Amino acid sequence: MNAETDEQVALRDTVRRALAAESPDRAWKRLAGLGALDVLVPESCGGSGLGMVEAAIVSEEIGRALCAGPWLATAVAAVRAAAAAGAAFVPGDRRAAVALPWPGHGAGFAVDGAARVTGVQDHVLGAPLADLLLLPATRDGGVVLVAVEGAGAEAEPGLDATTSVGTVSVAGARGEVLGPLPHGALDAVRDDVLVAWAADALGAARAVLTLAVEHAKVRHQFGQPIGAFQAVQHLLVDGLETVELVAGGVLHAAWAADAGESAERHLAALRLKAFAGRLATVGDIAIQVLGGIGCTWEHDAHRYSGGCWGGPSRSGPRRRTRSPWAARSSGRGHDLAPGRASMTPVSDIEEG
Amino acid sequence: MTAGRPEADHQRRSVDFRLPPPVEAFRDQLRAWLVDNLTDEVRDAARRRGVDDDALATLRSWDRTMAEAGWAAISWPAGYGGRGATALEQLVFTEETIAAGSPTPVNVIGINNIAPAIMQYGTEQQKRELLPRMVRADDIWCQGMSEPDAGSDLASLRTRAVRDGDDFVVTGQKTWTSNGHRADWCALFVRTNPDAPKHQGISCLVVDMRSPGIQARPLRTLTGDAEFAEVFFDDVRVPASALLGPLDRGWAVATSTLGHERAGAARLYAMIRLRLHDLVEDLRAAERRRLVDLDDPLLLARLGELDTRLAFLAVLCRRAIAAADGEASGSASLAKTVWGELEQDVAALGYDLLGAHDPGGRWSVARLSTRSLTIAGGTTQVNKNVTAQRVLGLPRR
Repeated sequence: MNAETDEQVALRDTVRRALAAESPDRAWKRLAGLGALDVLVPESCGGSGLGMVEAAIVSEEIGRALCAGPWLATAVAAVRAAAAAGAAFVPGDRRAAVALPWPGHGAGFAVDGAARVTGVQDHVLGAPLADLLLLPATRDGGVVLVAVEGAGAEAEPGLDATTSVGTVSVAGARGEVLGPLPHGALDAVRDDVLVAWAADALGAARAVLTLAVEHAKVRHQFGQPIGAFQAVQHLLVDGLETVELVAGGVLHAAWAADAGESAERHLAALRLKAFAGRLATVGDIAIQVLGGIGCTWEHDAHRYSGGCWGGPSRSGPRRRTRSPWAARSSGRGHDLAPGRASMTPVSDIEEG
Repeated sequence: MTAGRPEADHQRRSVDFRLPPPVEAFRDQLRAWLVDNLTDEVRDAARRRGVDDDALATLRSWDRTMAEAGWAAISWPAGYGGRGATALEQLVFTEETIAAGSPTPVNVIGINNIAPAIMQYGTEQQKRELLPRMVRADDIWCQGMSEPDAGSDLASLRTRAVRDGDDFVVTGQKTWTSNGHRADWCALFVRTNPDAPKHQGISCLVVDMRSPGIQARPLRTLTGDAEFAEVFFDDVRVPASALLGPLDRGWAVATSTLGHERAGAARLYAMIRLRLHDLVEDLRAAERRRLVDLDDPLLLARLGELDTRLAFLAVLCRRAIAAADGEASGSASLAKTVWGELEQDVAALGYDLLGAHDPGGRWSVARLSTRSLTIAGGTTQVNKNVTAQRVLGLPRR
């Protein structure tokens, strides 16, 4: 129960070793070479046919190595969105992005009969780096997914240098309609992105916590390692607590994405979104323990901290996802009794 | 299941939050039995356990009922009255009994903390006589550990036992002794060698609490209940045969745990799940009386935050239960820290929202009673020291 299989452990090791050996700018080719972009692509389409548990493993290792780049937007968002539209997207080494609308909002684009797309969507993960944009667009009262090559996007500023977010704006761009998006399909894609993003932040948090712990073991003041002081120990344990809680949340949400029914899956992703923001405190704790050097560009702490902060703060305002208890508004009640196949079965969830 | 104990019904490692069908069948069986047997009178007695003797009689009778049906001390080997339950069965047992409102066994400390030492170190006679009566609550057990000057630093305890012929003569004081004023037996930790280093001069005696020279005084806790006592030993003669484990090796006896007791951590999240369920029920009722507004985003955010921490704590506990022995102690100390603070936060939210409308009601009581959760059984601060040293590998001072 809840333990990685030998294959999953091997996947983690492979990605970790590969990324440790590469400079960040070569990491993309290396990931593509490993097949790490095709984790979620079905085997019938030439991919690995694995699930979100494996995607979360890859994402955590990418976060640990600070190599996020376009992986999340490509290997999770684009692959999942294309699959939802009934099409296969095999990244190869292409970078892609999906213009997911904000929760509760409709598609930001419209497409005409000649496959020309017009519209705007802000806050699109990976858009400034993307070779290929997948745009949800209204057509004849429904929503379809349209692929547009080389459209570009305007980058939005952010603290996390390893990811890139931008505004996509197109007017009559020619695209290819991949297929219809069923109701709720993009919500499921967004959940998967949240899970993978939290895993990425978790990887960064684990790495920076390790740096701080190792520093506390060797840095001597008052004639002893600073890690022998309880004040320092308790700070680091608080960081560990956050890391381990999020690790459990990632594992459960990734499992639920593969195996759970949709309400549990969505709730698990929302919980992760609501809580993963706390990983920022791990970066803060690490900087505190590292002391003066942690506040400088001489040390990598700030890069990891950006990784801890980036995902949760940039995948949507927390208030939109903080309230699983908004479930009550569905009028069907909230069942907290233990039950089979579920940690906490919950009825319908509506975002507040 | 990972390494450690083989789990016949679930050998393969995998990420899977579902439990295997045989374990779910076990759940159904237990749930059905609880529906047929657990009464409101018993549930109510659990709330009054520290208040009146009738409640205690009801609780003892319930423990006997469970024992006779094979639903007590299920992690114990069958030979001692348990059923040798697997870790996952223990987990399900804990979830179901707590969700149903079944009271914690009167002898919970005995079953989980004292019995392992009796099984490991006791004579055949001790095992045969003491264990079945413990599990049926025919005898009530207490554990004499903490003293006024030995709390977190337990090994500095000073209650002394001096050998005199065929007896030990015991003098000293214990405190925070759960059920000390009601107990028939005490697993008493005493100093038998004042010259040895502090961890190496302690022994464990199984003491008949009716022995002359023992006085127990109930301690009223914040809620007004008397769950604890301070116990005074004044030249109490205890037969030398009462020694449990080797002389001067009582520290090992104190720290012996059931290799087969794996699901203690499940208690942690199952209790909070029940409390949060109660809170939501009470908030719904209060909303009908227009006392709270459940559409208040701040209230929803606080509830959502608690629900999320609970869900993640449950994963942490389940992983601790499933983990190999070495890994488990690390997650377990972390889980205890999270649990204490989370249950306090649930109680505090209940009190903030509902306490004024129900003075003396369950949220007022919970607000007070949960303070001990970050103290009893190892304070949060000591626990963080343990986690820092054992999990993070930080140096000791």
